[in-house]
Formats: sequence, C-alpha cells, structure tokens
Amino acid sequence: MVSILRELLEFIVERGLSEGASFCEARYFEERINSIGVENSVARSLSSGILRGIGVRVIVDGRWGFASTNMLARESAERALRDAIGSAKSIVISAGEEAKIVEVKPSTDMVIHHVKVNPLDISPEEKVKRVLELESAARGFSDRIKDTFITYRDFETKVVVCNSFGTFVEEIAPRTQIICRVIAKEGDNLQEGYEVVGNVAGYELIEKINAEEFSLKAAKRAVELLSAHPPPSGTYTVVVDPRVGGLFIHEAIGHNSEGDLVFSGQSIISDKLGQKIASSLVTIIDDPTRMGYGHFVYDHEGTRAVPHKIIESGVLVGFLHSLETAAKLGGAPNGSARAQSHHHPPIVRMSNTYLAPGDMSLEEILEDIDCGVYLSGSQYGYVESQKGQFTCKVEEAWLIEKGELTEHLRDVAISGLTLEALKNITAVGKDLRMEMPGMCGKSGQGIYVDAGAPHFKIEGIVVGGRR
Amino acid sequence: MNRMDLVTPAEKAMRILSRLNIDFYDVVTSYTRSISISILGRGIKEASSRVDIGIGVRAFKNKGMGVAYSQSLEDSDIEVTVKRAVGFARVAQPDPYFKSMPGPSKVPEVPGLFDANIAELTLDDACRFPVEMINAAEGVRGGAMYHGGFSASHSKACLMTSTGVSIEAEKTAVSAYLQPVYRDGDDVGSSYEFDYGVSLNDIDVYWIGRRAAKKSLEQFGSRKIESGLLPLILMPESSSSLFSSLLSALSGEAAAKGRTFASKLLGRQIGPENLEILDDGTIPGAIASSTYDGEGVPKRPVKVLERGTVLTFLHNSYSAGIMNVESTGHAIRGGYGGYVGAGPSNIRVKPGDSTINEIIAETKRGILVTSASFTPNMVSGEFSTTIDEGFLIEGGEKKHPVKNLMAGGYILNLIKDIELISKDGRTFGKGHFFPAIKIREVRLSGQSLPS
Repeated sequence: MVSILRELLEFIVERGLSEGASFCEARYFEERINSIGVENSVARSLSSGILRGIGVRVIVDGRWGFASTNMLARESAERALRDAIGSAKSIVISAGEEAKIVEVKPSTDMVIHHVKVNPLDISPEEKVKRVLELESAARGFSDRIKDTFITYRDFETKVVVCNSFGTFVEEIAPRTQIICRVIAKEGDNLQEGYEVVGNVAGYELIEKINAEEFSLKAAKRAVELLSAHPPPSGTYTVVVDPRVGGLFIHEAIGHNSEGDLVFSGQSIISDKLGQKIASSLVTIIDDPTRMGYGHFVYDHEGTRAVPHKIIESGVLVGFLHSLETAAKLGGAPNGSARAQSHHHPPIVRMSNTYLAPGDMSLEEILEDIDCGVYLSGSQYGYVESQKGQFTCKVEEAWLIEKGELTEHLRDVAISGLTLEALKNITAVGKDLRMEMPGMCGKSGQGIYVDAGAPHFKIEGIVVGGRR
Repeated sequence: MNRMDLVTPAEKAMRILSRLNIDFYDVVTSYTRSISISILGRGIKEASSRVDIGIGVRAFKNKGMGVAYSQSLEDSDIEVTVKRAVGFARVAQPDPYFKSMPGPSKVPEVPGLFDANIAELTLDDACRFPVEMINAAEGVRGGAMYHGGFSASHSKACLMTSTGVSIEAEKTAVSAYLQPVYRDGDDVGSSYEFDYGVSLNDIDVYWIGRRAAKKSLEQFGSRKIESGLLPLILMPESSSSLFSSLLSALSGEAAAKGRTFASKLLGRQIGPENLEILDDGTIPGAIASSTYDGEGVPKRPVKVLERGTVLTFLHNSYSAGIMNVESTGHAIRGGYGGYVGAGPSNIRVKPGDSTINEIIAETKRGILVTSASFTPNMVSGEFSTTIDEGFLIEGGEKKHPVKNLMAGGYILNLIKDIELISKDGRTFGKGHFFPAIKIREVRLSGQSLPS
C-alpha cells in the first residue's frame, strides 16, 4: 500500500517536472528529540521536541531553487514547490556556473536502524534515575568539585528522499548521546572536564556506560587541571591522541576535500588531485558505513553511501561528492550530501572521518622526542579552507621531555597550515579510535559526524601558549 | 487558521495548561519567513525560501521544569505538546533557585524594528543585492572565486505566561556576506566582509563587495613571524569578540552561580578608567533591540562598566532570583525550543581619544589584528587563539600580513592591559559599537621557540 506521504512526495516531484524543472527532489524530514538536564544532582528539566516538514529542490534552466515548509498539507507542499521554482527562476547565474548533476540509477529502499533498547520504552523516571547515578559518581570524586552537569539526549531521525530519477528511499536512524561537564574550583581557579558518549544506538548505550570511563573521568580531569600549567608558546613537535587527531583530520583536510568547496575554489587542495600532498604514512578515509555518530546508509539525495578514501599513502585520491559536485568535478556521487533538516538543502558533508592506523605504539612514537607537546581531548576547531589554515582547541596537554610525558598543561590550542602539517606527519600509531560524536557546522547547518585517528606525530606545529 | 495568527494557538495551549494543576507555565508561538541567496564559485548558486512555524511550552510543577515544542500549530499537536511539557514537569525535580516568572509590564514600543520592504521582499527583488555585491568586488579586481550570501527574514512571535504576560513582537533582519578568493600561483589572497541590520537600507552591498575584495588583495604575501611578546591592536571586528565574551560571562545563571571567569568581578575595576560599556536593547532600529526580553520584561539601557569597573550582571528572572535582584531584561529565548538563557543586547563601548591611524602610527612594532576571535574558555578565562588575519606593524606602518600566528593569555589581563581605545570604530546593525583597542603586550606563538 502506498503511504499518504509517498503519494504526496511523488506528486510534488511529478508536478515539478511538469512545471519545467529538469530535476526535482521532495524530501521529508522528521526528528524527535528527548532530553534530560541534570545539574548538581537535580534533574531540573526534561524536554521533548518534534521537528518535521518538507524541503523541495529543483533545477530550472540550469539554476537551483529550494523551498521548505513545516506545514504538511498538500497545498503547503505545492506552495513550497512553486516557491522553489520561483526561487530558481529569480536568480541570475554566471556563465559556466549552471547547475548540473550526474544521472544516477533510481534507488528504492527502506532502512531502519534497529536498536536493542528503544529509548521510548524507558520511562522518563527511569532515565532520570540512571543519569543521576552517573552524575553522583562525578560529584563524589573530590571536595573540589563545584558543579556537575549531565545532558542526556535521544533522537530519532526519519528522512524520506523522493526525486525525479525515480528514487524513493526512507531511513530511520536513532541516536543517543550523553555529555558530562564538571567544574572544579580551588580559590579563584576554575577548570572544566568534559566527556561525551554517542552513537547510532538506543538506550543500551546508556545502560552499558561505566562511570569510571565517563563522569568520573570528567571529574578527575577537571580536578587535575586545577594544578596544570599554561602551555609554552612556539613551534613544537606534537603527538596527538585519537580525539585531537580526529579533530585535526576533520578540520585540516576533511573540509578541504568537500566537493562543493573544491569546485568553488574555496579549498587549498582544489587543484591537487593525484598529487602527493601528505607524508606517505597518511591514509585518510571518510566512511558513512562504519558505525559511529556519523553513520547512515543513504545520504539526503538518496545516494547509497560508500566508504571513500581522500588520501592514500600521501596522495590525494578523491573528494567527497554530492550529485552536483560529482558532475562538476568528474567523480561518482559517494553519499556525502546531507541536510540539517527539511529547511536546508543538502550540501557536501563528512561522516565518520579517520586516519588509517600505522604500526607504532605510543611509546615508540614518543621515544625520540626531546622536547614536544602531547595533546589530549578535543574541544572544537575550525579551518579557513581557502587558505588552508586550521585551529584545534584541545582539553589538556603534557610536555614531552626526552620521550616522557612530564608537565601537565591546560587551555592549549594549535594552529597550522594544512599542506605543511600533512607532510610533517612522521609517525602513526596502531591504536585507531573513533570517539568524537558531535555536530559539525557548515553554511549554517549542523550535522551528525564522528572522527578519529590513532596516536600520531606532527612536526612544526604552532602551540598557542602563555609563556 | 491564518498562518500569521499566532494568538489563537497560544491561547488554546494556555487554556489546556490552565486546567492541568501546574504552578507556572508559558507558551511561545512563532512564525518566520526567510529568503536567502547563496554565492559559491563565480557567482550565485541557489535561491531559497523557508516558512517556519512552531510552538514551545514550558511548565513548572514544584519548581521542576518540563519543556516541549513542535513545528505544528494544529490543534491535536498543540494538545500533545502541552501534555508532554506537563508530564515532564511532574517528573522533573525541584530546582531550588527557581522562584517565579515575571509579571506583565507596559512600556512604549521600541520603534524601527520592522521594515515592510523586507516583509514584502521577493526573491526576484532580492537577487539584485548579491549581484551588486559581486559586481562591486569584480570592479576592484575580477576573477575571484566567491563564497557568500544574502538573506532576509521576517519573524513574528507571541508570548503568554501564567503570570499575565501577553505580548506579540514582529521584527525583520537582513544580512550579507562575501568572501572572495584570489590566487596568484600558490599565494592566496582572501578575506571577507559582512554587514547586517533590521532594514534593507541598513546594509550597503556595494560597500561590502568592494571592501571584501580590497581586504582580500591585502592578504597576498602573508608571512610567518617569530614568537614573542608584542602589542596587539584589535580592530573593531576583533575587539567585538573580546567585549562580547566579557558581557556573556557577566550574564545569567552561569555568572550568578559562580561558573564564569567574570563571576567575581562585581564592583571590581578590571580595565582602564576610560573603559565604559553600555548594554542598550532600546536603540530604535537596532539589530539587538526589542521592546521586551524573552520573558516579557521591558528592555532598558544598562551601564555594565564605568571607569573600568563592573557595575552589574545582565539578568533574566532566574539569575536575578539567585541574587535577589530585579531582572535587567536580558532573557534570551532561542525561538520555540524552550530554553531561556541570558545575554547582552546592543553592546556599546565608549569611544576613546585617538584615531585608529594614530594608534597604528605610534606603534613601533606590533600586530594589527583584523580578524580573530578572542573568546576565551568561559570558565577559566584563558585563551589560546589563532590570529586568522593580521598585519605586522613596524615603525608605525603596516608591513605585511601574517599567517600561522597564535595569541595566548588570560582575558582579564587583556582587558587590564588596554592602553588605548580609538575614537573611531564600527557600528554593527545600528546597535553595537566597538572601537579598536591597543593591548600593551600579548604572548604570540609563531615560527620558532621563544628566546
């Protein structure tokens, strides 16, 4: 039986073609979010939200138009289609910049990511009890703990893509995430510890969390940072842990490989396909099929996602593609187009991005470093992709002296130039971990991603210190 | 239902809430229509329009809060949303700091926050703005690749509370942004310019385009410099991040509960005698102005710093309750999502005595920072940041752009070490005013180890 939603989306696509669009896509988005906020042993707020609506995208005379609505009646969807076509017709494009996409075979599929424990089957009272348990482990760690916060969230995201190639795919993905923040205090000195766990998973993720590895770890870090020192300033050899490594890979090279930034001249590697741009130790992969917070089966253009190499043994071998960037850059769409919601058109995004493991242990990586900095835990980062200058803010660091970790450091950030830094990766560990479940922002859209790496060494990185 | 009728669904939610035996509640309904045109590559890539509606409900029972929201104003969805919020409020635990919600106040409207030209703007009409912006940049030097956009929005919101607040607000906004990228071999010249406001007349896309191109061309030939201690001159686009961070750290429950680097600063002199900061959400036609804040408390001008001394925090009703003071009207509600925080509105830093050119001319060696974020760790106040765009100054003159340079320090030391405040600066969105400032000495990390 054809659902009412499918009938509506197919009607919009057919109507779009009959009104002059050469390509039409109608996408339904629905996201249900439940959250619990605990602060200092009080579950002071519980919340629930539903986002849903339809986004319509067309190509008319070589021009893109997009419109969205969160009113689901047929007349509202038709209005969105008219607005999308009107949008396309309204713009003046430069010669050579016409919208074009690759022709693809239609896909029809329905994907439901099954979970062991559906969060909706757990009562709010039971969730509160579990979150408070995890929080109390942090609170009891030390009398220097000032504040503890845990935010629990479960999401269920449904995306239905219908387009004029005949594609109709539906994917329902659950995600569960829990974040712990701890503030420790000694006199006027305030420091913060942070831990996050998240995945495409159900409530089983929360059930199996061990406080030792989560809230207690955040508390311990906050307290230990009270006696950490400001970092030194200057250029150093650094060793990054899997979280900082993941952030580095995401910022320094991941964004630069996004097809839309490449064809529009906003990437430092736009003209470097096939060239050696990194050390031979470097192989970087973006893999939506790998389990992680950025996991999905179909992207938001209905393309089945595949793992794709960006750099192989130092050579730039590929970009992340949407239907459009594959056409403009001469590649195959690899399932990299996603949108934050129905209100946003799909753009090229990373998924689970990582540096492939090498064969060294951390001890081997550290042993020949006389003076360097070991960086651990990622906070946030950004890149000016057109210049290839990136910044990564990390949680804590240690001085490396004669191969040993010595002085504990806090509030450290690093900055570098992508093309230099990639060539200066001189040792890669074997301990790949992907544990950065979070949101990546680009062009006003946030999207679920993950990133990781083994420990690795980069030479000549600027450390922004205070001494 | 007419889609602009936000009162009827809010009243419906209020009626249901009134029957459910809870202590406090509020309802927000909102409508936003926005249009945007994105620029990517040689020119315009895509035009889009969006209509967003929603309802948010907060319910309090025994000082526990339940929140629910939905992007539907249909009767059945309103009922479900209300019941979710109330169900959650019954599960939530008592928040000892919650006291009440503000009651109604009547004040004159802040004028000039709505531009009918934006409410009626079609994409056909809007298209000329990004085209003019790109043409202006091409007029400086052709052949750049661009990233940027133009967007305009018209929003309307209705707030009703169980304490008697019932207000409607309507506002428009417009913004434009352009980042040209020029390449000469491997050398890249790229920068950006932007502007925003309440009315179409508030932004000048021709100016944005030309300035973006000129700033981009100035970035050619950037060089690394050595680590060391140097004075920094923060242009308004960068001093804004420093002052905004300070005011954010002085805002709301994080400040009142002692969780920011600024929590202990009340009454303390933290900057030079001539440092004065006013927060004014009542400026006619300004981007961060409104008649009422996110809880229905009237906006009013608040002097936050005078003679370098912190006079007050910026409160919503929750943080004011913690400190037993009145709300200063700084509640910020991020749409219908439910969360109510607190933060600054239009930030106005009092101009100083020197011109920016005079400040540069009297600097023997230093860095002119044209783009960087001096937002610190809000808990510790420490920062470590990249100078995204800047120039080396030698002998009072701009020498060359710098790259791969970082600054590190403690934000309160930056403020304490403000040596000069410029009398010229930049007004953003007809509300914020930020001068340039010269900071005596900052630790910079560059090419080599410090001596």
